[in-house]
Formats: sequence, C-alpha cells, structure tokens
Amino acid sequence: MAVADEQREEFLLDEKTLREIETMKGAGQWSIVWRRIKKDKMGMLGLYIVLFLILMAFTSWILLSFDQFLTNRDIILGDPNNAISLNNLYVELWIPGMPKDSPIVLFNHPRYQFADQAKLPPSFLHPFGTDGTGQDMLSRVFFGATVSLALGFIGQMTTVIIGTVLGAIAGFYGGVIDDVLQRIIELLYSMPGFILMIFIIVLFEDVQIPGGRYAVVVIFFSLIGWGGTALIVRSNFFSLKQQDFVEAEKALGASDMRIIFKHILPNSLAPLIIIVTLGIANTIFLFAALAFFGFGDPNAVSWGDDLNKWQNDLLEYPWMPMFPAMFIFFTVLGFNLLGDSLRDALDPRLKD
Amino acid sequence: MSLRGFIIRRTIYIVPVMLGITLMNFTLINVSPGDPVVVRIGLIHCETPDCYNQAYNQEAFEMGLLDQNMYTVPWFTRYINFVNDLLHFDLGNSWYYTQAGEGVPIAQIISERAVYTLVLNILSFIFSLLLATAIGVVSATRQNSFWDRSLTVAMLLGYSMPLFWLAKLLMLLSYQLFNFTGVANKDAFRKPLFLNPSFYKYLILPTLALTLGGLVFMARLVRSQLLEILRQDYITTAKAKGLDNRAVIYKHAFRNGLLPIVTIIGNSLPGLLAGSVMIERVFGWPGIGTVFLEGALFRDYPLMMATNTIFPLLFLIARLLTDITYVFIDPRIKY
Repeated sequence: MAVADEQREEFLLDEKTLREIETMKGAGQWSIVWRRIKKDKMGMLGLYIVLFLILMAFTSWILLSFDQFLTNRDIILGDPNNAISLNNLYVELWIPGMPKDSPIVLFNHPRYQFADQAKLPPSFLHPFGTDGTGQDMLSRVFFGATVSLALGFIGQMTTVIIGTVLGAIAGFYGGVIDDVLQRIIELLYSMPGFILMIFIIVLFEDVQIPGGRYAVVVIFFSLIGWGGTALIVRSNFFSLKQQDFVEAEKALGASDMRIIFKHILPNSLAPLIIIVTLGIANTIFLFAALAFFGFGDPNAVSWGDDLNKWQNDLLEYPWMPMFPAMFIFFTVLGFNLLGDSLRDALDPRLKD
Repeated sequence: MSLRGFIIRRTIYIVPVMLGITLMNFTLINVSPGDPVVVRIGLIHCETPDCYNQAYNQEAFEMGLLDQNMYTVPWFTRYINFVNDLLHFDLGNSWYYTQAGEGVPIAQIISERAVYTLVLNILSFIFSLLLATAIGVVSATRQNSFWDRSLTVAMLLGYSMPLFWLAKLLMLLSYQLFNFTGVANKDAFRKPLFLNPSFYKYLILPTLALTLGGLVFMARLVRSQLLEILRQDYITTAKAKGLDNRAVIYKHAFRNGLLPIVTIIGNSLPGLLAGSVMIERVFGWPGIGTVFLEGALFRDYPLMMATNTIFPLLFLIARLLTDITYVFIDPRIKY
C-alpha cells in the first residue's frame, strides 16, 4: 500500500519539479538563489564579467590614488598639473629572457603622453594602440573603469535608496503623502530622462562642488530617477501591509519601525536587488551617452569621455574609440546577464 | 462611462501634468547659477560701466526679467507670461539660430524640423514593430531551437550595445562596404523633399539604426509574452480542436499577448524618443533632436525650454493614444 502511494506521488510530480525539489533540499533562501544562478550559464558569465570589472575598477583606483599620493607629497618628483612630470608608476611585466632594465610596461599613468607616439595602431608595446595625444589606450581604458563603474554604482544606489524610502512611506502610510508622491512620479515619468538630464547639466554646469561636474550629474540623476523604484516599492509595501503576518505583528504591539524593517523590507528585497543590478547597466549606459554627446567632464578619465573625444576618428583610427566602447558594451552586457539571471532565480514564477 | 467621456477626461488630465512640467522646467532655469543675461550679451565691448549697464538692462528688459520701470519682475508673473505665450504658440526666439542678426522664432524652427523627426521615427517604429513581432513569434514557437537561441543571443547583444555606438558601427560598416558614411549633407534636403532621391538614400542608415534600437527592446518583450500565453489552457484547447498553428498563434495567442506589449511600448516612448535624439545627432539628421542638442551645447535657454515642453507633450499624447488602443485590443475593457 505504502509503495503504491509513493509511486503515485512520483507520478504526479513532473521531472522539472523534482529537479527543483532536489535543488532546494536543506537550504536557506539565499543559497537556493545562488544554486539557481550557478545552474544558469549566461548568469554565471554575467557574474564573471561583473566581478572582473569590479576588480579592475578597484585595482586601477588604488594604483592611481597611490600615484597621486606620491606626487602630492613630492616624494620623487612631480607636479600634478604637468603631465610630463607625473610619477607614472608603471605596472610592469617582466618576461624571463627579456632584458631586466627595460621591462614591458603593462599600464601607464592615464595622462602620461608618449612623445612622438600619437595615433599608433595596436602593437606589442601598446596593445590597444595610442590616442591622438600619445596616451596609451590600454591604460586609459584600465584607469577609466574607476569613474565609469563608480558613476553607475553611486548613481543607482542613491536612486534606489531615495526611491525605497519614499516608496516605503507612501505604501505604508498611504493617504495624502501617497497622492502627492504619485503625482510627482507622474511628472518625472513623462520627461524623457536623457533629455531632462541634458537640460539640467547645461543649466548647472557652472556649479562648483567637490567632485567636479560628475558629482552634479549624479546628484541630479538621483533626484529625478527614483520614480520607478518608488512605484515598485510602494506597491510591494501596499500589498504586504495587508498580509496576515503583519496584522499579527501589529496585534502583538510591534512598532511601525519594527514592522517595516523586520518584516516588510526583507520581503520586498528581491525586486530591489533586480532593480539595482539592471539599473546599474542602464545608468552606466546613460552616463556614457551623456559623455558621448559632450555633456560629460572632458578632464575626467572615463570610457564615455574618451569615446566622445575620439568618436570622429572612427573611420580613420578605429581603435581609438573602439576599445572604450567595447568596455561599455561588456559592462552593460554583464550587468544585464546577471540581472536577468537574478530575476529568474529570485522569482521563478516569471521564468519562461 | 462612454469611450468619448473617457477620452475627454484623459485629454483634460494632460493640462495639469503639463503645467507641472513647465513649472519644473521654469524653476530649474530660475534656481540655476549664472546670470542668463550675462550669457546672452556675452563679450559685449564697452568702454564705460554705464554702457555695459545699459546694454545689460536693455537685454534684461527684452528677456522679460525687468519691467518698464526697471523693477525686477516676480517669478510668478514671468511664469504666467510664459504659459500665456505657450498657449498662443509663441515659444520665443532662439539665441543660437539666427537670421540677419535676429533670433529665429522657435515655433518656426520646430515646425520646419518636425517633419524630419516624424519621418524617421514613424518609419523605424513601424519596421521595428513588424520585425519584433516576426522574431518574437519565431523564437516563441520554436523555443530552444537553434533559431531561438541565436536570435535570443543576438537580441541580448543588441540590447547591451549603446544605441549611439550601434549607429557609429553601422556608419563604419557602410563606409567599408559602400564608401558611404550616411552623414546627411545639404544635398539630402533639397525641396521638394519627398521627390528627392538622395533624401531616401540618406534616410536608410538612420532608419536602420533606430529600427535596430527599438527592435531589440520589443522582440524580447514579444517573446516572453508569447511564451507565457502559449502555456495557457485555452491554447491547448485550440490546438486540440484541430486548428492549425497559424490560427492558434495569430488568432488566439497574439491578441491576448498584445495588451501588456502595448502598455510597455507606450510607457517606453520617452526612451525611444531619446534614442531618436541620439541617432539624429550621430547622422547629422536635422530633426528636433539635433536642434535640441545643438541648442543645449550653446546654452540656448529658450530653445531648450521649448523642446523640454514639446517632448513631454508628445509623450503624454502618445500615452493617451495607448490607452485608447486598449479598447480596440481588449473587448473586456469598458469605460
């Protein structure tokens, strides 16, 4: 009898469900998510791309900060405004069998100009070629990762934080706040973001704040970009607020803060993670587009600004704009792949 | 409620939103640092401070910042004046686009240039909608086949490619193959426009780029939407009663999947508009987008103000049309 029951149960569950059960056996929520991502080849590819880029951005940031530190302290020689006298701490690679006093230089200082070496095509010494002013493209791309990625991360994180706070307040308390917030979101939503950003950048380009022009751009980006996040968080809070476990917690006399932070927020974390991952891709793309059309900071070392500088040389010297553009493409691709995979892993109902 | 009542209500609803948008733009211009009068008069050559002050006051008066008695006009009066001018289709004169020393009226610039933007956008929108439908249907009906996989990967790659760079790459490709960069020149816009063969020649590459940009976005949507619907029970029923595949997909699945697709496309129109701005700039296409970008690069405040009013208005109208199409797609929706 018992054997027959078991057989019937086996029969009822199809193969896919069985596999899903196997995945979930004895695991917490996040390890289930991790296991699902690990099974997704595209997601893992995205994860590797993202990890590689983050590592690159961090390394280049540390190297450049160290170089600036030495330059500012006058430890060797150097004047931060004079590109020729930069310390130019090389990242060197010595291949056994080569002369030790002239090793291959992997990365130069991004502002270091090689005299008489402008517009060289990719070669052994300059794997990505050199640009119109004799700067090594590989170094430019390597050190440009810091600004490009940091802009995407900081812009998206501030946006999401503002959106979450406002959306949580609107969804939890409702009433007048909710109405006002919805009207504001409607206003922000009817403006094409790219066009509104250009409008604001042009108006506020004279503002002097620490961090340069990109700081202004990021501040305004987070001030106008929070609408989408706020809408999703609001609807999440609104539906979770009416669930039984929140009612129970209220009956037990929990404070609003406890309900929000201990119960509702953890339950609406999944959409937030997806928003952040996919949003970083969009933000990086937006900032690259702004820089490409001449609304970036021409003095910054970033992929978008390099692209802007050499975009008209595409037909003659294709390597100059090609490599920064390629890295923007890979970054956006990586975050998109990871975001799609996360969405499938966090919310399997949506999976095709 | 009748459909007509709904349309009227939604049309009236545009008014407060537009008021909010113009107020936002107006406030942004007012709180921004820097004196627009100084930007405007630029490097005027003056021997004495008096001469400079006079020029300054004259300019400020012309811009409506000072009244006849040289008192500062309060911001709400200026805002009311601005809205009043808008209602009379008077968008002011451009600072950057000049003719015989006078600024060209912005309404004139926009009515001249709108046709280029419209031709480009409508053509590429239709193409990308058709192609996205075809690709979505092929991918969804042959899920996990070779075609589905390669199309999905291609869409993903296209989706991650910045649109402006896609346009540049198309330019490079066309230059290598046909020695033709597609950057528009005067030759392309000789009147009569629609009888001019070189107009169509220069239209090809921007249309292609914008089509690809919209396509990658829509095809993903159509595919996932169709996949979800093909799993529904009524599709199984339709297949079971012996309908052929074509009828199942186009009669049963597609009409039901259309509603979310229309919603998302309607909501993404600002993004598509921004895409059109980028493509126009890359190919030197003289539409409204190029006008806006050039005005922005040269700090042409009235022009930016005008385009920033027109783009949201276009978007709101498009969303209104989207809402109206619901009624025709989905017979369950009644107003």
